[in-house]
Amino acid sequence: MFDPRSLIDVVLVLVVVLLMAPFFGRYLGRVFTDRPAFGDRFWNPIEHQLFRLIGTNPRHSMRFKEYTLALLVTSAAIVLWIFALMVFQSSLPWNPNGIPGMSWDLALHTASSFTTNTDFTHFVAESQLSLGGAILGLQIALFLSAGTGLAVVVAFIRGFTRQDGTLGNFYVDLVRAVTRVLLPMAILGALVLVAMGLPQTFTSSVTAYPMTGGVQTIYLGPVASWTSIEMLGTNGGGWYAANAANQLANPTVLSMLFQTGLMLLIPFSLPFMFGQMVRKPNEANPYIATILIVFLVALGLFMYFQYIGNPALGALPGVTISGNYPIGQQSLGTLPETSFFQVSSIYANVGAQEMALGSITPGAQMVSFFGMFTQSTPGGVGTGFGVLLVFSLVAVFIGGLMVGRTPEYLGKRVGKDQMRWSAFLLISHPAVILVPVVVVFLAGLSIPALGAVRPNLQVNAHQFSILLYEFTSEGANNGSAMGPILDNTMFFNLAGAAVMLVGRFFPMIAMLAIGSLFSREEPIPASTGTLQTNSFTFTLYLTMLLIIVSGLLFLPVIALGPLSQVGG
Amino acid sequence: MSGALGPPARSSEPASPSRGASASPADAPQRMRSHVRAAVVIVVLAVVVVGLGYPALLTGVADLISPGTAGGSLLHATNGTVVGSSLVGQNFSRPYLFWDRPSTNDYSTTLGYETPPGPTDPALRALLNETIAYMKQYGNLTVNASIPLVLVSPSYSGFDPYLTPEAVLVQVPRVANATGESIASVTAFVNSYITPPLFGFIGPAYVNVVNLDYALVAWTGVGP
Repeated sequence: MFDPRSLIDVVLVLVVVLLMAPFFGRYLGRVFTDRPAFGDRFWNPIEHQLFRLIGTNPRHSMRFKEYTLALLVTSAAIVLWIFALMVFQSSLPWNPNGIPGMSWDLALHTASSFTTNTDFTHFVAESQLSLGGAILGLQIALFLSAGTGLAVVVAFIRGFTRQDGTLGNFYVDLVRAVTRVLLPMAILGALVLVAMGLPQTFTSSVTAYPMTGGVQTIYLGPVASWTSIEMLGTNGGGWYAANAANQLANPTVLSMLFQTGLMLLIPFSLPFMFGQMVRKPNEANPYIATILIVFLVALGLFMYFQYIGNPALGALPGVTISGNYPIGQQSLGTLPETSFFQVSSIYANVGAQEMALGSITPGAQMVSFFGMFTQSTPGGVGTGFGVLLVFSLVAVFIGGLMVGRTPEYLGKRVGKDQMRWSAFLLISHPAVILVPVVVVFLAGLSIPALGAVRPNLQVNAHQFSILLYEFTSEGANNGSAMGPILDNTMFFNLAGAAVMLVGRFFPMIAMLAIGSLFSREEPIPASTGTLQTNSFTFTLYLTMLLIIVSGLLFLPVIALGPLSQVGG
Repeated sequence: MSGALGPPARSSEPASPSRGASASPADAPQRMRSHVRAAVVIVVLAVVVVGLGYPALLTGVADLISPGTAGGSLLHATNGTVVGSSLVGQNFSRPYLFWDRPSTNDYSTTLGYETPPGPTDPALRALLNETIAYMKQYGNLTVNASIPLVLVSPSYSGFDPYLTPEAVLVQVPRVANATGESIASVTAFVNSYITPPLFGFIGPAYVNVVNLDYALVAWTGVGP
């Protein structure tokens, strides 16, 4: 039976996040503008030294091309560093479990995956990742990929506040994102997780001798510090292959709720940061409302589908299902709690998993897909809000044309150049997902990967969902996976790396380009015909636009996959 | 309105060295070489600070505040041997132990996770029916009791240490029979291992089967 009391803690966590978000968002807004912020006295001298080491003048404000170049060069350096560590991890020190080096294609996939905030893993961490490779390689990407996400969205937003064509200094933004936001919060979060019982040690494994015989390896490591930034930076690559379903990384319901809060905090704060940066705090309202509407409806639907269970299973004589649908799920957590964790993880593009997504009910799978199609409710750190802002520009543009006015937003004209980039951005998303799916079928690769049957390469709806999920998750930089699929192959590693890199950096470049176009414009005064964006009407309009555009782009493939399974 | 949207106010504070963005010598773009240098320095700094320093700091603190759980919640036998972790399930398929959930990976921690068949895959029904049949034949469960689905269904990790109280209590007759204890005393023993929802509403009631079974063997003396 469903116990309504189990909803209380979910609501509590949401309320706490929503109460903290405005304050935290305002702090972020101050950190990324030139206004005094909490901690200036402590951080300014440290950052001054860091900027000197990095060799940048913090007063130097970059234009579009230079900002993009700095972003890409820095990301390339992270990719190369991780790639080298992964390939050579067998010969590098700090490999107590004697892990072999990765093949070059798997190493490239892994490096791209963590640098793009995706954290989709084609390896099993327990047997294919060394301790040194994890913390010296992948863990730095957990920080830096979240930092680049924040940097890009603040540069995008600066377009509305400047007229000199500049976007800010990438290195300053990245350093501040780490020093003033991610690192202090990750330390606090990790302390709480340590107190909640997560392992935190440099011992990588312990051999146990269970009473029923055999040998069991208990894999350990600095799990608390890893998990904290994994959730906070919406990364989602777990210390363990089973991610949050391995109870070492998630020992109690309390730790599950806390990790959910960590995932949501920054994404829910970004609309308020935006309001602070453009000096119109109320402009945060339509965004936070849109995010909440879509997120809560998704959570409700996910819970509903998991509650009604799996019709295809039919009657199992002598068996009762009580509470949570258990197949592919851990016993820890009630239906609302596990659903809240999983929906937050997918909708905030974290990708951490508390359940086997391939085993949950088809309806819940469909809800999961939709979160990655919108990418923006609330989406990952930085990029999620950036995409939402692009949706909003499209809404403003269409709305302006409908009433026959020059479309404008926050005093800046929304012209055809901005719309061209916005359209590119929105269309690139289905393109990076659907093209590789088609290639897999045309090239006959569905046979080894999914067990498709010759001669028609026939796959069933579930196998199609698995393949679609692979590329959707990579294209949205989500990182959750639906199995089983044999994806540690040359094709899936290289295609996956390409999908993740394009799915990450093309939208980022588009955001910077749009920001740069705005940044070159003189503000125009508001008139009576200006579309009121801080209104109930605009919120509904934006929500509907988001749902319809995301839905239309993907409806055909959803019909082939999970939709055809709903109802058995 | 335009006032609010002007360039960011830079005069609201006495400019500290790292703030402000419009000094004239800073207008020239950095060269490619200086971008490469910056990227390399960022990676090196990140390796030292967030790669090494951050987990080292936390490990130091964890050793002070919670050495037991920070070390992996390990369970030791009386002679000091590590027998497992409270947070990692094991194969307990013996008549005198409470069984945990089935695992298609044989509870392997090295394989990391398992992928149960999809919701509409006929293999799922077959797998469940097989486990249910085994449970009915060898489980020696409470007569006429319904089997909770969680007891016969695979988890995601493949080594779920937790179970619902009903799924443990339904196994009491078998354990009582195999250990020679009375049903009432085994039931009371299980009841003492049920963790109720925190504050009455956070989480379900659950039993840690690993802790339960190791305590059970110590209590009954019936073991391997």
